[in-house]
Amino acid sequence: MGALRFIREGLSGRRGLYFAIISVLMIAAPLIFWKLDMPFAANAMLLCLMFSIMAMAWNLLEGYTGQLSFGHAVFFGVGAYTTMILMLYYGITPWVGIFAGGLVAALVGLALGVPLFRLKSHWFALATIAVGEIFKLIFISWDYVGGSAGLQSPIVPESQKLYYLQYAGSYVYVYLALGFLGLELLVMYPLVRSRIGYYLQAIREDEDAAMSLGINPFKYKMVAMFFSALFTGIGGGIYTVRFRFVDPFAVFDLISVSVYITIAGILGGIYSFVGPIVGSFVFVPISEYVRVYVVSRFPRFYGLHVFVLGAILLIISLLAPEGIMGWLEKKGLLGGGEEER
Amino acid sequence: MVGLDYVANAVVSGILIGSVYSLVGMGLALIWGIMDVINFAQGDFMMIGSFVTYWAFTLAGVDPLLSIPLSFLVTFALGVLTQRVVIERVLDAPMVSQITATFALLLMIRYGAEAAFGPYTRRISVPYADVIFRIGSVSLQLPRLVAFIVSLGVALAFYVFLKTTYTGVALRAVSQNRMAAYLMGINVRKMYWLAFGLGVGISAVGGTLVATFLPIYPEMGGFYALIAFIVVVFGGFGSVFGAYISGIIIGVTESVSALFISPSLKDVVAFLLFILIILVKPAGLFGTEQR
Repeated sequence: MGALRFIREGLSGRRGLYFAIISVLMIAAPLIFWKLDMPFAANAMLLCLMFSIMAMAWNLLEGYTGQLSFGHAVFFGVGAYTTMILMLYYGITPWVGIFAGGLVAALVGLALGVPLFRLKSHWFALATIAVGEIFKLIFISWDYVGGSAGLQSPIVPESQKLYYLQYAGSYVYVYLALGFLGLELLVMYPLVRSRIGYYLQAIREDEDAAMSLGINPFKYKMVAMFFSALFTGIGGGIYTVRFRFVDPFAVFDLISVSVYITIAGILGGIYSFVGPIVGSFVFVPISEYVRVYVVSRFPRFYGLHVFVLGAILLIISLLAPEGIMGWLEKKGLLGGGEEER
Repeated sequence: MVGLDYVANAVVSGILIGSVYSLVGMGLALIWGIMDVINFAQGDFMMIGSFVTYWAFTLAGVDPLLSIPLSFLVTFALGVLTQRVVIERVLDAPMVSQITATFALLLMIRYGAEAAFGPYTRRISVPYADVIFRIGSVSLQLPRLVAFIVSLGVALAFYVFLKTTYTGVALRAVSQNRMAAYLMGINVRKMYWLAFGLGVGISAVGGTLVATFLPIYPEMGGFYALIAFIVVVFGGFGSVFGAYISGIIIGVTESVSALFISPSLKDVVAFLLFILIILVKPAGLFGTEQR
């Protein structure tokens, strides 16, 4: 199996050790938070993991393929709504619904890819913003999905909490998100290390040159779109089971979904495989801290948390456009000069 | 059935509001055309113009029309500063850094204003707000009429500036070929300061005009930026004159279509139109691979 070989290679040497240490810490953290009764930390960790899943998915399109999307809220929202509707209207467990949400999002991604991939550079970015707004407006006026009021998870008896995945606090959901992040790594790492990953990078560097070497850019952009939308949709499903309430203003929001995903990816470094995860774990705690400790205490300053994010994004864009991982690599702090692309 | 009177009224009010859209679009088109930078924060610089006018009126009782130069100058200065501190550094950077830099400006201006002023909607109640002229069955609100006249004046003055003055010609030269203009002794860097300052300043005049008859709020830039983008792609990329005409067309389309379809659907149509235009409009749009 090719995929297994790539994973074995990826985990060889020091990288494997780092991976093992971080995995153990991640698995232990929710238990510690639970023992010490730190719901805020658990919730922040859940958000970090959700944004890791989505930023990594987003980065398959931007970092690897060079297609800057500001419309990932579409896939997030479609995934969230699919999971919710299957659970609420058909009584289907989110264990299935989250995967279904990812799949529906991926199909939406393929459908959108047909017209959108005819556009280049900033036209693509502009069009994805417009698509995001269209989805929000459609869901607002679509009665089946609850219109502007949104949908709420059913209240279920204690005995069915595993079936409906309803637990108090974020602790259990952290493990759910960890599981999906693990799944994503298992899918994405072999993908970007395979021939397809190099095709995508060739398309990013020079589409015409890639074409002249026999790579069909449209085909491989669609492949990237499929996996990108799939895992972003799964992120939406996790949102649904954790927050139990889905409304178009929250899940299709340009700033707090699409742009946040973008910031997480760019902050971590778009030319690094693990960059988006690093970015999420830096960006989400800052955002959550400002939002919960400053804005909630002084509601007068609502908006300050987004201002801070804007400042972070500006600093990164100006001073370190290669992101944290790119910067570390440049300083030689990643050791061994391992090619992480 | 919608009566003819309603249609006539909608067309007139569409032209009037469209002239404000034109100003925002013109600013975006100017920056885009000269520097090949998409300023995502364009609508938010316009919002700054609105708020300068609001505070001048509320704190010092300055009539909104008299605050036009103030609003222009404040925003112009902020624009030059932005160009020096931010845009200059990303001019030759990859597309993604350019987009994220102006997007960061958007977040900082919009939510900085929200944190400073609160998310509330504000209105300026000028004494002549309710003066209405009637021509046949068409009624004209004075502030909207004034906005139209001022916008037309600003656009004409700007057109004359670009066509006849040395600086205007130099600006256009820089937009055509940066290197050639540089070799002709034009200070490209200063031209870029000027371009960004003028671009956001013109939009801020639009912000001032809009504040005389529509509510203003820190997040208003989102709506007007969208309109500005539609205006620019519709009017032809980088064309300042085209932006003025297409702003008025967009304004009329918007207010006439409001008679027939529901508001939320109307926006869906606007977004679809936007995607359609950039998809089908041939070379010059997709053909131009930037760098």
